[in-house]
Amino acid sequence: MSGRAFTPGPVVYPVETDEGWRPERRMMLLFLIAGFCALLIGASIGPLQALNYDGVNAYPALRSIFHTYYQGLTVHGVLNGYVFTFFVTCGLLVYLPARELGQRPSMALWGACFGLMAVGALSLIYAMFDNSSSVLWTFYPPLKGSPFFYLGMTILTLGSVQPLPVLLKMRAAWKRAHPGCVTPLVTYMSLVTMLMWALAGVGALSELILQLDPWSLGLIGTIDPMINRTLFWLTGHPIVYFWLMPAYISWYGLLSRQAGGKLASDPMARMTFALLLIFSLPVGSHHQFSDPGFSQIWRAILVVLTMSVAIPSIITAFTLGLSLEYAGRMRGGSGLVGWFRALPWSDPSVAAQVLGALTFILGGATGIVNGSWELDAIVHNTTFVPGHFHVTVGSVTAMTFMGLAFWMIPHLTGRKLISRRIALFSVWTWFVGMSIFAIGMQWAGLYGLPRRAWVSALPHDTYHALYGVAATPTTLIAVGGVILWVATYSFFLVFFGTLLFGRRADRPAVPFAQALSGPVSHETGVAIPVATGHGASVLANRLEHVWALVGLTAVATVAAYVPILWPFLHNVTHSPGWVLW
Amino acid sequence: MTPFDEAFHASAERHERAFIVCVIVMMALLTVATMFYVVHDFGLVTTTQSFHSDPTAAEREVAAADTGRVVKTGPNSYAVHITGKAWRWTPGVIHVPEGAEVTFYVTSSDVLHGFEIQGTPVNLTAVPGVVGTVKYTFHRTGVFRIICNEYCGMMHHAMIGQVIVDARAAE
Ligand code: HEM
Ligand SMILES: [Cu+2]
Ligand SMILES: [Cu+2]
Repeated sequence: MSGRAFTPGPVVYPVETDEGWRPERRMMLLFLIAGFCALLIGASIGPLQALNYDGVNAYPALRSIFHTYYQGLTVHGVLNGYVFTFFVTCGLLVYLPARELGQRPSMALWGACFGLMAVGALSLIYAMFDNSSSVLWTFYPPLKGSPFFYLGMTILTLGSVQPLPVLLKMRAAWKRAHPGCVTPLVTYMSLVTMLMWALAGVGALSELILQLDPWSLGLIGTIDPMINRTLFWLTGHPIVYFWLMPAYISWYGLLSRQAGGKLASDPMARMTFALLLIFSLPVGSHHQFSDPGFSQIWRAILVVLTMSVAIPSIITAFTLGLSLEYAGRMRGGSGLVGWFRALPWSDPSVAAQVLGALTFILGGATGIVNGSWELDAIVHNTTFVPGHFHVTVGSVTAMTFMGLAFWMIPHLTGRKLISRRIALFSVWTWFVGMSIFAIGMQWAGLYGLPRRAWVSALPHDTYHALYGVAATPTTLIAVGGVILWVATYSFFLVFFGTLLFGRRADRPAVPFAQALSGPVSHETGVAIPVATGHGASVLANRLEHVWALVGLTAVATVAAYVPILWPFLHNVTHSPGWVLW
Repeated sequence: MTPFDEAFHASAERHERAFIVCVIVMMALLTVATMFYVVHDFGLVTTTQSFHSDPTAAEREVAAADTGRVVKTGPNSYAVHITGKAWRWTPGVIHVPEGAEVTFYVTSSDVLHGFEIQGTPVNLTAVPGVVGTVKYTFHRTGVFRIICNEYCGMMHHAMIGQVIVDARAAE
């Protein structure tokens, strides 16, 4: 709009000067590669599912790999939803704090985290590919998979909480060295995320260890579907925050620097994380609005809690927008939208994260639809729901992690990206493909198209009689899916190409952001300690008491779940297991 | 901080506060709107009829209540008892009159199923050992499909039933 020219090109990251982090860098690289290998398999299957909804059945041609659509869908959900996200997150949430604090992580514990998750993932892969466990990623009993599936899931989950002790140790050591100082921001956010996840894991872990593991091993004969479903969602809702919070860490902690600016508000970032910790635990049963066995009062309380958990995400959107606006204006952008155009769009890492954040507008809005119980009655278990979460985890998390990989691989390996252009291309195609796909899925859901359904295997006439009305949206689904294939493979071309053939170059340093206000500052890539009471805001000081937050969350969770589980515990159903695929 | 930083920060803080107030008000309004349905229950909210420890008992209860027929329970109300079992609904075809209040009693005798009537907000999880209910009034004649929307194995996508809404015979 205005004629003022702005600074073109990407922001130049400072060069890494501290060469002393070899073992940590290697371990982080392992986590990254393992996670993205899972995504490569998972994302390759996704478009087949998209074609399915448009009536194109690719599965007969794939019989040597997948017996059914449902086997492929189990692999897609487990590898993308658990294995990909867990590996990247468990690497990141140790590596970033270690570099921020300048503290060595316990390599034994961090390595054990990797080892456990790798064993768990391999066991899951074995159980899924031999078609013994096509139970989907929610593994609701009384569908019964093989012990390798449940034991693998147990070990994977146990592995994924190991970063918590590593973080606690590093934070304690840093606090000893800097008495009376506020925990630096990225460490704080990582710690709250892991505390949230460790609490949340109690649901699925008790379901697995007390019920599904012994059941699949034949030690107990029957199982109660409702109790287990409820325990699953005790973890299954917070897991969406375990997907999102690492992306928020990157947005708050790094992105504003990458974009050439500063983080607008440090205390607000802390508060967002504290709210996410408190609200994400007690609301899991909002996934059960359609289930019998819930009192109306509890449904109402769940609605209130669910609406509350949206608040921190909306605050994140605001703070992120402000930080980006600041960056854009620092780069010379002006006017209402000029700052947005002035962002360093030629940096694929920035483009990935900003575009991912944009899709979250649709993802967040549709989440509020799901959370409003009577609207949920219309969309529950239709394609609306996967439509919703592909513009949360499938874009926000996946694209932010892709963006992280674009600076992290050069940072970890000292190799330059083989092609910035292909990287940018992959990011834009992912954005466009995922948006078209998600809009198609959500729209089709309004016609009652069920999720998790091999509709393309129906006789042609039946498919058309049932879902012909949704022809336009199902076409969008297929188009989006095919674009996503292109995006996926161009991304992996850059990913593996750089690992193998990237030219040697200086390592960029971790781009920790400085805050415009609040206690944290990173001049040189390591946090500068800020004493509580001096410059640290009141809010940041209060929020230092993480154990109080944990206690509050635990109390709220128990208060929410005792009344929910009560009728189920008093009316136990003894269901035998079923293998129906 | 540079003067630009100072000015930006001051304005940011003001806007941030206003924004948070707006967000909280918006979510509160949404919550109140949703709560309206708690007070004024349209019958669509899933409720629970009974629990059973034997997963097939619920099926028997439903069967005893005359599965396969639509039972008239009042001047303009009907009850329908339905069981899901991989991979069909019993009864598979249901006739109900237009404009009558129909209460569905739904259960499963094996794994979870999802009782969705396409084109309506009827959406209820069929759980073995639990009988859930929803109420609905069909205001349009024609064929409505019952679609299983909770994964139940190999032929889950083919688990389709029908509700046929008949025009009212002139009285
Ligand atoms: C390459 C792009 C992708 C495409 C085209 C795609 C497509 C799909 C489709 C069509 C479904 C619904 C299947 C059904 O309900 O029958 C689905 C389910 C799912 N997707 Fe994706 N997906 C993609 C990437 C991802 C990513 C990146 C993630 C997570 C990081 C992800 C996580 C999931 C999960 C958790 C499910 C649920 C599976 C279930 O319902 O059991 N997907 N995907
Ligand atoms: Cu949820
Ligand atoms: Cu089914």
